[in-house]
Amino acid sequence: MTATTLNDEQVRFIESGVSISAASRDVRRVPSVSKVVGCRVATDRRQITLLVDAAQAGQLLRDVEVSKALAVVFCLPSSHRTLQLKGRDAHQVALAPGDAELAARHRDAFAEDLLPLGYALPFARATHEFQQEQLRALCFTLSDLFEQTPGPNAGSRLEQG
Amino acid sequence: MMTAGRSLDAIRPCLEGAVPAAIATCGADGTPNVTLVSQVHYVDASHVALSFQFFNKTRENILANPQVTVFLLHPQTSARYRLALLYRRTETAGPLFESMKAKLAGIASNAGMSEVFRLRGADVYQVLDVEHVPGVEVPPAQCPPCHIARLRQLSQRLAGCSDLASLLEQCLEGLASQLEMPQAMILLLDSQGQKLYTVASHGYPLSGVGSEFPLGRGIIGVAAQFRTPIRIAHMASEYAYSRVIHEHLAEAGLGNRLETEIAFPGLAEPHSQLSVPILAAGRLLGVLHVESAEPHRFGYDQEDGLMSLASLLGASILALQQVVDGPAEEGAALPLAAPLPGAPLTVRYYPANSSVFLGEDYLIKGVAGAIFWRLLSLHVEEQRSEFSNRELRIDPALKLPELDDNLEARLILLQRRLAERSRDIVLQKCGRGRLRLLLKRPVLLQQIAAR
Repeated sequence: MTATTLNDEQVRFIESGVSISAASRDVRRVPSVSKVVGCRVATDRRQITLLVDAAQAGQLLRDVEVSKALAVVFCLPSSHRTLQLKGRDAHQVALAPGDAELAARHRDAFAEDLLPLGYALPFARATHEFQQEQLRALCFTLSDLFEQTPGPNAGSRLEQG
Repeated sequence: MMTAGRSLDAIRPCLEGAVPAAIATCGADGTPNVTLVSQVHYVDASHVALSFQFFNKTRENILANPQVTVFLLHPQTSARYRLALLYRRTETAGPLFESMKAKLAGIASNAGMSEVFRLRGADVYQVLDVEHVPGVEVPPAQCPPCHIARLRQLSQRLAGCSDLASLLEQCLEGLASQLEMPQAMILLLDSQGQKLYTVASHGYPLSGVGSEFPLGRGIIGVAAQFRTPIRIAHMASEYAYSRVIHEHLAEAGLGNRLETEIAFPGLAEPHSQLSVPILAAGRLLGVLHVESAEPHRFGYDQEDGLMSLASLLGASILALQQVVDGPAEEGAALPLAAPLPGAPLTVRYYPANSSVFLGEDYLIKGVAGAIFWRLLSLHVEEQRSEFSNRELRIDPALKLPELDDNLEARLILLQRRLAERSRDIVLQKCGRGRLRLLLKRPVLLQQIAAR
């Protein structure tokens, strides 16, 4: 079986400043969930790095450390397009140079998409705001990819691109 | 049971569906799943409900593992909250289901996904914890009004009313001035219990008094049937008034033009609608309905306020029905007036549905039509102009429904229709429980037997 990878278009989509939420779970299988403030994909299109604010995502970081399980949903509010990615080997990694700038670009790009929908700019920016000193990076290998745009195909597994 | 930490009541704006929530679940094999949903519905201080629309991974997971974590954003401040939930049950019918179905129709329509979203069930969760997640927040743009204070002022207005007509008028005027809900109407349940009729409205070019709405259909009919508030934050075509009324009539084989002769007063494109049942003494009396051309105009607070107002209205309607009519002077005749000038106005009456036409113009049907015909007949045959509610209640020619029907409401309807449709016939109150019929033209009465 070939490894699951993202195609170029999917990479562009998840890096474009969409809304991102990630979930893990503890040993008792209680789920944890938090906002993600940035995302980058390695050139192999399988290794994905997420940026989170540790002040908001404490439980998620602890759960990933123990379970290594991660589910991440990406959604563009203006089109409702939604993808879910999963990984089984998630772990915390050191921040790379430029990660804080990446998160700032992500925050601004998301706000851009939200403005035409009638939201005020301060609100739109606040939704993905972060504290630079609290930024942490989580890396995982893509194991499963699901189409999750609302509709009859929601939840269907996408083959590698 | 109270939840630990912050109260769910304090974060109800997050549960309006304005910003999608992230729902995290975990399968039996330990694989987490996360998805976005538009509707986390407030049930009570310790329960929420999520819409079950598709058999998906979330569904599979909660049946295997009932622990769920939800991430919410406040739609004005961006404050973040995490809810620890425990799945308890799914409701596939009843008040909660209908409330969520209507709300979902508005959300789906706003998202251009009316054909996609269909509610299969309302998944009810116990809220175990509400966590305020740290992060940047923006101050709310405006301070919401204190609904309890406004409601107090409005209840004082209602408490001062001594008859049904002023009660309805004060209620609607108060909604406009105190609760900032200028488009409102009150519908009462017909004695047969199958339809509602508009008895008063505020804020429309045409009052629509006398127009009918089917029970169990549309936002108003569903609020009545399930005795539950129904609220929609966006235009939803499947709940459009005219569509609901016409579909009902077509299905019932009532192509009868009379049913739609009086146009329903609602806005052509309401983007916010809220219907609440008027209940009293365990009975459904009618529906209080408000609407607005703006989306997201009514929230949980407005819904609570309107439910409280409807309770007060219901109790007041029942109380006023118990008020004793004025002293009986039944049959009191005024001195016979001189013959009226002018050509006679032909008034036709169809006993089959108790409909009345003034010349060629439809006036009214049903109980109010029968009452009007009786008043005119007594006027012509016995030269009487004054009548008491009491004599109408026991009049064998009228055979009014038992206690369940509200004679006062029928008379308000009749008065209002006459005021809107005729310059020649006036019906006035003349003391408690008394009426005066004034004719400015002679009338010619024609009863048309059913063929």
